[in-house]
Amino acid sequence: MLVKFFATYRQIAGCKSCDVEAPQDVLALMGVLSERWPEFRNLILNRDGTDKGDDVIIMVNGRHIEHLDGVATQLTEEDYVAITPLVAGG
Amino acid sequence: MTRGNGWIGTILRVNLTEGTIKKEPLNMQDAQDYVGARGLGTKYYCNEVDPKVDPLSPENKLIFMTGPLTGTAACSSGRYEVVSKSPLTGIIGAANSGGHFGPELKYAGYDGIIFEGKAEKPVYLNIDDEKVELLDATELWGQGVHPVTEALEAKHGKVHVATIGTPGERGMLYATVMNDKNRAAGRGGMGAVMGSKNLKAVVVRGTGGVKVARPEGFMREATKARTMLREHPVTGAGLAALGTEVLVNIVNEVGGLPLRNGRDGSYWDKADDTSGERLVETHLIKNQGCFGCTIACGRVTKIEGRGELDGFGEGPEYEAGWSYGAACGVNDIGAIVKANFICNEQGMDPITLGSTVACAMELFEMGAIPESDIGFPLRFGDAMAMVKLTQMCADGEGFGNIIGLGSYRLAEKYGHPELSMSVKKQEMPAYDGRAIQGIGLEYATSNRGGCHVRGYMISPEVLGIPIKMDPLVTEGKGALLKTFQDLTALCDSTGICLFTTFGIGLPEIAGQYREAVGSDETDEEILLKGERIWNLEKRFNIEAGVEKDTLPPRLLREALPSGPAKGKVSELQTMLADYYEARNWTSDGIPTQEKLDELSLTY
Repeated sequence: MLVKFFATYRQIAGCKSCDVEAPQDVLALMGVLSERWPEFRNLILNRDGTDKGDDVIIMVNGRHIEHLDGVATQLTEEDYVAITPLVAGG
Repeated sequence: MTRGNGWIGTILRVNLTEGTIKKEPLNMQDAQDYVGARGLGTKYYCNEVDPKVDPLSPENKLIFMTGPLTGTAACSSGRYEVVSKSPLTGIIGAANSGGHFGPELKYAGYDGIIFEGKAEKPVYLNIDDEKVELLDATELWGQGVHPVTEALEAKHGKVHVATIGTPGERGMLYATVMNDKNRAAGRGGMGAVMGSKNLKAVVVRGTGGVKVARPEGFMREATKARTMLREHPVTGAGLAALGTEVLVNIVNEVGGLPLRNGRDGSYWDKADDTSGERLVETHLIKNQGCFGCTIACGRVTKIEGRGELDGFGEGPEYEAGWSYGAACGVNDIGAIVKANFICNEQGMDPITLGSTVACAMELFEMGAIPESDIGFPLRFGDAMAMVKLTQMCADGEGFGNIIGLGSYRLAEKYGHPELSMSVKKQEMPAYDGRAIQGIGLEYATSNRGGCHVRGYMISPEVLGIPIKMDPLVTEGKGALLKTFQDLTALCDSTGICLFTTFGIGLPEIAGQYREAVGSDETDEEILLKGERIWNLEKRFNIEAGVEKDTLPPRLLREALPSGPAKGKVSELQTMLADYYEARNWTSDGIPTQEKLDELSLTY
């Protein structure tokens, strides 16, 4: 499955996107990303690793996970995920 | 409320027909009821001008107004408002700008300026503390924003300049007022009103200051707000690092980035080429801030190695990056930066201009505009044609003059008014109201036509600030938008930047306001002033003959073809009913007498 990085997360990942083998759900995916890029750990996960951090936006197929099943949102190889720090503009 | 409490207490009244300048006491009752800047400027305007006035006639007036926090130690307090009736929309046309001009006006000893009449020949107003004079601008007429600013700085020393380019001189309907070279009172054609008065520029130098009512409490509140802004991920880091253009990928990801005049939906596989991340890689020199701002979202940019595109300037912001990018189907970021430079250098609204070019591209591709009218092919994705047409618009050359009418008049001229992506004749910005339902409601009800900064629903619907709402649903959007609009009217009127609301809220805005003006009003009573301002603007618009609150047929009838919002149209009518109920307006969108009485609004 495709994982896209936006804003300053690109600097951490060193790429715009990457392919990963789809884990079971979003929480597991964040674990995979934190393992590959340890700097992500404190940014995208909360302190005890049970939920996403406060300042990260995660979208699965363009839908915020808040409107799906949160970090329990199930993933398949056909899904695409975007993660970005909280940013704004206008 | 008394003078000295956030206010200087003096207004300049400049009659350009007679060449007279008067200093008047500020109307302190109106300042209390309508806060300042946008609200107070609109109140003065409504008191003095017939809503049916021709916007480009001498009978119209043009008002520059600061707020009680402008130029103080409050966070991001560099804002002022330019108010008049818009020649583009025919309704109220308040436009807000940052930089350093607003604070300097207060330091010179004036809360605002009311321009009346029309000068016989080009003039500019020179303010040097108590010395105020009208000077000949004949030699400046016909020049762009940057050379005029530099000439006036060379002549008058350390000053701040607000001026218009040649489009404003010609009455181009969406000409801007530019201050400090690249800061814009951008929407609705305030620059055209200025040009219609033969007023080329306002130059100001001030050596005074602004007193607040309760200095100790004020500094406590201002420090608290600044700390919150510094510690918030958006206002403390994100906007400085990547600017507003960082939204491109995120809005595209939710399927809300209108593509090719909205014809091809709102998801673009080339969006990243035009993103804030890409801008940093290719054109950014540094970021910079306006007066007293810790956010510093401004982009200082340059173009090198592109021949005729080469240049130096600022921007683009997200909205301009979209209008010249996705809206025109152009993924050449150098061309986008260049088109935005032209807009800044000549004082034109890039949202309306880029959107009008996009509309022309669609009309050309469907055969409605013959190539002979334009002089060259104008297809989506043609970056050089886009830049060329922008320059022609700036220069008043050929088909550029038609582009200068805006997309509504363009599309109407060629028989397809439905293809103008505008509300009340002003172009909608960079979010699709089908994929993000609440922003569609915001466009439809905005008091100055299609506009995103009258109630920025992207915050809750896309970013989750202050709460996360599903962009695809309609429930709760009407009531939340009403609160956002009132809070925005309040924020704009205080003289601080709307971007502060990503990191602070009503308690911090009201707290700074209260300590500055010496008020003991509650947060809710202060927010009510925002609602009063909103209803005043609405009342003016009704008297001026405003069109009904709606969206272009494309958003109401053409389902999105792809992306996360595939199959969606705007469910505007459902949201409108909720919105009018939240406002206590009639089902036709008219403020009820009960509401006007509650707000003590007599207009």
